[in-house]
Amino acid sequence: MSDDRPRVDITRVDDELTRRDLLRRAATGAIVLVYGGFGVRKAVAGAPQFRGKELKGTLRILQWSHFVPAYDQWFDNVYTKRWGQANDTDVIVDHVNQADLPGRVAAEAAAGKGHDLVALLAPAPQYEDRVIDHKEIVQEVQRKRGKMIDVCYRSAYNPKTKKWHGFPDFYAPDPINYRTDLWAQVGSKPTTWDRVLKAAPKLRAMGHPIGIGMSNEIDSNMALMALMMCFGSFIQNGKARVTLNTKATRDALKFARDLFQKGMSNEIFAWTAASNNQAFLAGRLSLALNAISIPRSAESTNPDLAKNIGLLPIPKGPHGRLGLEHVMHTYMIWKFASNKKTAVKFMAELELKYRGAFEASKFYNFASFPKSVQNVPVRLARDPHTPKGKYKILNTISDKYTKNVGYPGFTNAAIGELFDKFLIPQMFAEVAQGKRSPDDAARDYQRRVNAIFSKWRKLGKI
Amino acid sequence: MITTREKLLSYAVLGPFAIVLAFPFYWMLWTSFKSDIDLYNVNDVPFGFGKGSPTTRNYGFLFHHTEYLTWVRNTVLVGVVVVVITLALALPAGYALARLAGRWGQSLGVGIFLTYLVPPTLLFLPMSWVIAHIGLQDRLLSLILVFPSFTVPFATWLLMGFFKTIPAELEDAALVDGASRLQTLLRVVFPISVPGILTAVIFSFSLVLNDFVYALAFITTSKEKTISTGVFTELIRGDVFFWQGLMAATLIPTIPLALLYNLFLNRFIAGFTGGAFR
Repeated sequence: MSDDRPRVDITRVDDELTRRDLLRRAATGAIVLVYGGFGVRKAVAGAPQFRGKELKGTLRILQWSHFVPAYDQWFDNVYTKRWGQANDTDVIVDHVNQADLPGRVAAEAAAGKGHDLVALLAPAPQYEDRVIDHKEIVQEVQRKRGKMIDVCYRSAYNPKTKKWHGFPDFYAPDPINYRTDLWAQVGSKPTTWDRVLKAAPKLRAMGHPIGIGMSNEIDSNMALMALMMCFGSFIQNGKARVTLNTKATRDALKFARDLFQKGMSNEIFAWTAASNNQAFLAGRLSLALNAISIPRSAESTNPDLAKNIGLLPIPKGPHGRLGLEHVMHTYMIWKFASNKKTAVKFMAELELKYRGAFEASKFYNFASFPKSVQNVPVRLARDPHTPKGKYKILNTISDKYTKNVGYPGFTNAAIGELFDKFLIPQMFAEVAQGKRSPDDAARDYQRRVNAIFSKWRKLGKI
Repeated sequence: MITTREKLLSYAVLGPFAIVLAFPFYWMLWTSFKSDIDLYNVNDVPFGFGKGSPTTRNYGFLFHHTEYLTWVRNTVLVGVVVVVITLALALPAGYALARLAGRWGQSLGVGIFLTYLVPPTLLFLPMSWVIAHIGLQDRLLSLILVFPSFTVPFATWLLMGFFKTIPAELEDAALVDGASRLQTLLRVVFPISVPGILTAVIFSFSLVLNDFVYALAFITTSKEKTISTGVFTELIRGDVFFWQGLMAATLIPTIPLALLYNLFLNRFIAGFTGGAFR
């Protein structure tokens, strides 16, 4: 007897698809996706890891992707290859975006395995116990090139433990980038913070606000700490004692609040490390504190704008003109690194002949040993881009106005922690947004920073 | 029968949603054809093209000056293998939880799903230690090993819900006819579970495609990177973002995935909502 009752198919949907159809489509899709265009052997087997390896040793380096692509080309394909041939070593350079580097480095520290050399854009004294003492590199370079510049020494040396927790191969001076055409229209020049405050409302009215971030990112940290120093406000003194709750800090907070209210926009509370560049290159900002990636990008993408970008030292405040480095590129050699001796040799030799790096980076990388690059002012003056000679100011900024994070003390582990937690930008943002008074913020953040210092003091690191 | 008025009403409701959802894709497509000088030209936002645009230079850069095709290949390879592993584990697990575990099944299912909710940002440090000590750093195998830790719980939970919608009488009939439990699974249950399986496949593949933290923590060699970390390394240099290349690089993998979704849309909906009407 046949069953004529209608069957209920719970999988039935509008467009019928048989199992055969499904398998056929899936197989075709998989073949196209896996093999299509990439070569069968490579797609299945993966790229051979040590193809063409003939050299005896290996050195693995992890660092950021430099904002100048040509620098990475030079470093990865020219310098390290030549050095590797000369030292019978296969040098492998891996790159990670700067924002993700700390995470990757933390993973290596946790795993106890990784690269022989890792570089961060700021010193990382919190890893002091996990890395070798880099004294040997410093001494080797110092023997041939004289003393390391003070800003780098104070960034990588721990006077308490007498240990070099890293080796900074370069730092980047931090000028202000300003629109010469716009500032000319308001009849001013950003040489003092007072002038910046006076010009800001006019510039914003013209649609070109000031761009100083107050957000959890590196540029906000650097700009606001530098602003504080110009007002005589310092996070710590030379003996690593917290000195945040002062009249100078309150003055700096009031100034920043006024500047925000009169001449900035809400965007600064969502600032990222790329915001300075993007807003400036979009023609929106009239002023930003940033290294030279802004004019360098403009030179290649928008030459008309580049002609109107001027560079100056940080504006002068009531306490003078005190700026920070923009980047302190610090290499570390793990204690667990497989090739420590090779890494030490590589670092010392890179620093001894730094001219190639200085020029390949388009003057971004300033050597930590000034004598490693001869005739810096002449080289800066030779830059062909207009306005001619604009990069000469970098030498003055480097010599006179570049201090370390935590100045007048050293960049210690406590400074590193508050830097990583972005406490200073948070303090400024809370005042600028009217959430608390400058008095209240200075008092509260003194307490919070004190707690961090106490922790590291107990650990014997400061 | 749907009247014209009802049609217009549904378009009026759906239209704004469609525009909002499609806009990011339009933005990616549009930006990927912009020239450097035109990128920051606010006068051309969001529809126009200015000086030097449209240009295919950004695609040329992506394909000829980065390892993009290698990253795509790596992503697909990892995705396919992880999906296979996920199905191999989640199909029997989901079925067992739905049928064999009785009232404990529900609690166990929820327990398994909860493991999916532990964020990779907490797990990547201990996982890094594990991967390093079994010698899998900088190898795609590390991702193939770790990704199922979040795809399997999710797929198990999803499939468990779906299996519950299949009438037990179908299996009883097969068992009465002499089929073993395994035969019942292979010949009765799995064939009518295609919508649920497809849903698990698509979701697992999407989860693999979206991962960033593990891929960053385990792999730094350019040739072994997946799309998610590769484009961030090569197209964000310092504080300079190469937006056009980034947009092109992220748009390309979304196209086959969108087509895949579309191809199986109705089955996908049936699979995802399968457990909801029990």
